[in-house]
Amino acid sequence: MTAESRTTAGVHDLVVVGAGPAGLAAALAARARGLDVVVVDEQQQPGGQIFRRPSGGLTAAGHRWPAGYPWGPDLLARAAASDVTWRPRTTALGVLRGEAGTPLRLAVSGPDGPDALAAHRLLVATGAYDMPVALPGWTLPGVVTAGAAQGLLKSQRVLVGHRPVLVGAHPLLLLVADQLVAAGAHVAEVVLARGVPGPAEAVRALPAAPGHVGLLAASTAAVGRLLRAGVRIRTRTLPTRVLGEDRVEGVELRRVDSAWRPVGPARTVAADAVVLGFGFHASTELARQAGCATRWDGAGGGWVVTHDGAQRTSVPDVLVAGEPAGVRGAEQARAEGHLAGLVAARDLGAAVTGRDLDRAHRAVARARRFSDVVQRVFAPDLTGLTALATPGTLVCRCESVTRATVERTLAANPHVSTANAVKLECRTGMGTCQGRYCEATVGALVERATGRPMDQVGPFTAHLPVKPVPLAELAALGELAAAPPEPAPSTPAPCAPVPATHLP
Amino acid sequence: MSGAVDGGPRAGRVAGPRGAGFALRVDGRDVTAYDGESIAAALLAGGVEAFRTTADGEARAPFCHMGTCFECVVRVNGRSLRACLTPATPGDDVGRVDEREPDERRAG
Amino acid sequence: MTRQRDVVVVGGGLLGCATAHLLAREGADVTLLERDQVNRHASGQNAGSLHFQLEYRMVERGLEAARTAATAMPLHLDASARWDALVTELGPDLGPELGVARHGGLMLADDVATARLLEAKARIERERGLDVHVLDGAQVRELAPYLSPTVVAAAYCPSEGRANARTAAPALARAAVAHGADLRTRTEVTSLRRDGAAWVVGIRTQDPDGTHDDELRADAVVLAAGVWTRTLAAMLDVDLPVTVLALMMSVTQRTTPFLPHLVQHAGTRLSLKQTADGNVLVGGGWPAHLVRAPDGTPVHGARGEVVPASLAGNARAAVRAVPRLGELQTLRTWVGATTVGPDQLPVVGPVPGAPGAFVATGGSAFTLGPSFARVLGDLVQGRTPAVDVQPYDPRRWAA
Repeated sequence: MTAESRTTAGVHDLVVVGAGPAGLAAALAARARGLDVVVVDEQQQPGGQIFRRPSGGLTAAGHRWPAGYPWGPDLLARAAASDVTWRPRTTALGVLRGEAGTPLRLAVSGPDGPDALAAHRLLVATGAYDMPVALPGWTLPGVVTAGAAQGLLKSQRVLVGHRPVLVGAHPLLLLVADQLVAAGAHVAEVVLARGVPGPAEAVRALPAAPGHVGLLAASTAAVGRLLRAGVRIRTRTLPTRVLGEDRVEGVELRRVDSAWRPVGPARTVAADAVVLGFGFHASTELARQAGCATRWDGAGGGWVVTHDGAQRTSVPDVLVAGEPAGVRGAEQARAEGHLAGLVAARDLGAAVTGRDLDRAHRAVARARRFSDVVQRVFAPDLTGLTALATPGTLVCRCESVTRATVERTLAANPHVSTANAVKLECRTGMGTCQGRYCEATVGALVERATGRPMDQVGPFTAHLPVKPVPLAELAALGELAAAPPEPAPSTPAPCAPVPATHLP
Repeated sequence: MSGAVDGGPRAGRVAGPRGAGFALRVDGRDVTAYDGESIAAALLAGGVEAFRTTADGEARAPFCHMGTCFECVVRVNGRSLRACLTPATPGDDVGRVDEREPDERRAG
Repeated sequence: MTRQRDVVVVGGGLLGCATAHLLAREGADVTLLERDQVNRHASGQNAGSLHFQLEYRMVERGLEAARTAATAMPLHLDASARWDALVTELGPDLGPELGVARHGGLMLADDVATARLLEAKARIERERGLDVHVLDGAQVRELAPYLSPTVVAAAYCPSEGRANARTAAPALARAAVAHGADLRTRTEVTSLRRDGAAWVVGIRTQDPDGTHDDELRADAVVLAAGVWTRTLAAMLDVDLPVTVLALMMSVTQRTTPFLPHLVQHAGTRLSLKQTADGNVLVGGGWPAHLVRAPDGTPVHGARGEVVPASLAGNARAAVRAVPRLGELQTLRTWVGATTVGPDQLPVVGPVPGAPGAFVATGGSAFTLGPSFARVLGDLVQGRTPAVDVQPYDPRRWAA
C-alpha cells in the first residue's frame, strides 16, 4: 500500500476506516475496479484485531497466524502489494458535511496532524471490541480483555501476567488460554459461564460451512492441550469479584445456574492477571455520528448498523461491513467487505458484473449460516452479566460512577427512560472513552428499571470527535473541512510488507 | 517463570529474539523498551503497574490494549497519547497523570 | 382522564419544569408533558451561562440600539435574583443540583476601540442597575491569569456565572413532582382545542409496547416547547413566527480548576466556562445545521450537524482567548437549537386569541428561565406579572 494519492480534484472515491478483514477486502475489491481508495486505521499495521502482528525488531521471533483463517496471509499480502493509499496510526474522528450534494469529509488525526479526507463514499469497517462487563474490581491493574491479552502476546510478545485466570463465555477464551500457555504463562484456571464447545457443537456447525469448522476444531484442540498442561477448566462458573488492593491478586468465582445466576459458594483463585472474554461489542460510533440508523442486537454486538443487504447504510454515501453491522466473525467480515467494495465501485460507475455481485452475496450468505450458529450457541446472557455489578461497582470507569448512583437516579426519576437521560444526569459516558465501556451496562440498567425495550432506551448519542482530539487540532480540522478538497501531498509512509517467511 | 503473586513484576516478555533495546524515561526513571514495542507493552514489561491515577486515588492500567478504553493515556514528549497505540522510540519522555494533582502533573 | 386540571404545561425543559414547579408549589393541579425526556433539548444542550451584560452585538449596532436592548435589564436582574431564590426554594437536596455559581463574568476586548465601546456599554448597564465596570489589561490579568496577552480590557460583572444545564431542569422536574405535579415523558401533544371554558389537550404516549392516545382537560395551557413553539401555536390557529437558530457547543476533558469566570468576547462569538466537574464548555453562538420543516421548525428526531467553519471559528476563538485550552482533549461537540422572536426579543405572554393559553420562549431562555416561569405562573393565576414583560407580549403581532 502506498501513501501517494491519485484523487480527482482531491476527492477520493472510497475511504475505508478499519484495516481488518472487512476493510482490506473492500479496499482490494474497489481498487481492482479502478477506484481511488484510502484505508485509515489506528494501528501501525493492517490486519485489524484478528491479524495483529509484531513490528520492527519483534518480527525476528516470527509469529503464527490464527487458526481457522487460511485466507489471512494472502489477504494481507495482497493488501501490502496493492497501491491503495494507506494511512496507519490515523484515527477517524467523524464525518463533516458542507453544502448538500458535496462530498463528505472524514476528519482524521494522524502522526502528521489533522486531515479532512474528501470522499464520494465512506466504508465503516471499524470492527468490534471486547464486551465490557462490570464486576467488582474490574478496574484493577491486571484486569484485561481477552483481546488485550491476545494482542499483547501476538504483537508485543508480552504476557499480561505470569499467572492469569481467564473468565468468560466466548470460545475465543480457550484459544487465548492456549496461546498464553504456549508462551510460558501458568494459567491457573479457565472459567466459562456455559459449557466447552464440544464435538456436538462442531457437528451442528458442519452443514453450515465445512471450511469454518476449523475454528471450532481449533478450540477443541486447545481444550485438549490445556488439560494436558494441567490447566483447570471449569464450566457454569462466573467471576463475582476481582481481588486486590492496587493490582490483581486473585479472583472470586462461583458456580452459576443456566440463567447465569450464582448458586454455589464463592471460592478464590490466586492470580496476577484476570482476562475477561465474554463476547464482543460492535464499534459503531463513527457510523452513528455519520447519521447511520442502528438497531439493537443483544447477541450480535449490541447497537449495530443496519444496511440494505448490500452493505449500504441509511446514509446514502456511507457503507458498513463486518462487525459494526453485527458481530459475526472474521469470515463474514471479509465477505461483507468484499461485497461492500463491489457495491461502492458499482455505485460510482465502475464496471462490476452481476455475476461478481451474485458471488459476493452468496459468500456473505454462506458465512452467515455459520456465524448464525456460533452466535446462537455462544450468545452471552446479558441479564446474568449485568447482575455481576454490585451497587458499589463502577459502571463508568472514566467518570467513576457506580451502579448505585445510576439506580438511585432511576429510582428518583421514574420519568427517565433513556440511556442519554441517565448520561446527562449521572455523567456516565461523559469521560474519555466516550461511553464505549458503560453504554451497554447503563442501557441494561435503564431497561431493567423501566421495563422499556432497548430500542426505546437507545444508545448514547455519538458525536464528533468519536475519539478525543485536542481543541487546537479540532480548530484545524474545521478549517481543513471548510476549505475545498485538495490532493494530499505525496510523502511516502513506510508500509510493512509481509515477510516471505510468513506466507504459507 | 518467576512467581507473580508475590509482588514481583506481573507482566513479562516472552523469551525470544528482539531487536535493539533502548531506554524510555518514565517519570524520571529509565524503563527498557525494544524496537517494535508499544509504550504500553514496554511499561508493563518493565513493571509499571499504574499508568494513571484517578481523582479518587485509584490506580489504572491498560484494559483493552487496542485504543478504545483510554486507561493507558500518558504524556509522551508533551502530548497526551494512548500508550497502547504509540510505538516506543528511543529518548521518549513519558509522564503518567495523577488526577489528584494540579497543573503540571495532570493532563492539560 | 376526565378530571379537569388547573394547568397543562407543554415542554419538559428548564422553562416547563420551572413553571410546573412554581405552580405546583402554589397548590395548583399541574400536568407537565414532555415528548422525549426532560432536558433532552435546548435546556440540556446550552452552555449554562448566567449572563446579564448586554450581548455585544447589540452594542455593535450603536448606542441607541444598546439603550433599547438595555430596557431588558430589569428582566435580567430579576433572573439573577430568581436563580438564587430557586436554590433556596428547592432546599438542601435539590438546590445544589441547579449548580448555580457566580464568580463573575468577563467580556473581553482585544483592542482599544472595542474597550471604549465596552465602557459605553457599561455606563448604559449601570444606569439600569447592573454592577459592571471595565478593567484594564493589568487588572484583567491579575483577576484572570489564564487569559492571553491579546486581551487589553474586559467588562467585569461580578454577578455573572453559571448554572448546571445538565441537572437544573431535572432538579426542577423532581421538585415539581414532589409538590404533586403529574409529569409524563414520552408524551406528545397532538391537538389543542377549546371546549367551552376548558382546554382539551390531545396526547399520544409511547408505551413499552406501543402508543396510546388520551385527552386531558385543563383551565390553562402553557406552551414551553422551545423550538416547537410555532408548531404548537399552529394547533391553536395562531402564527407565532419565532426563528430557530441551530448553534454548536464543544466540551473538553476534565482538568484542574483554573477558569472560574464566565468568559465572553466582544466582537467574536465566544463563551467559555469551566464546570464544577472540571470540563470546559465552549460556545458562543456559532451556527450549526439542522434539518427543518418548511416553517423553519426542526424536524423532530433529526440530528444537528456541526458546520466546519463554525467548528474552526469557535475553537480558534477559544484558544486565542485562553491558550491553554488548545491542548485539552475535546470529548464532544453537539448542536442545540434555540429560538428568538421575530424582533430578536423574547416572546412572553398570553397566546393571541387563545384565552387561558400562555407562551414563553426565546432570548437567553436559560438565563431568563426562572423569570419567564414566574411571569407564566402569574399569568396562569391571573396575577399581574411581577416583571414588566409588555415589550415581549406575543400579541404585538396579532392582526
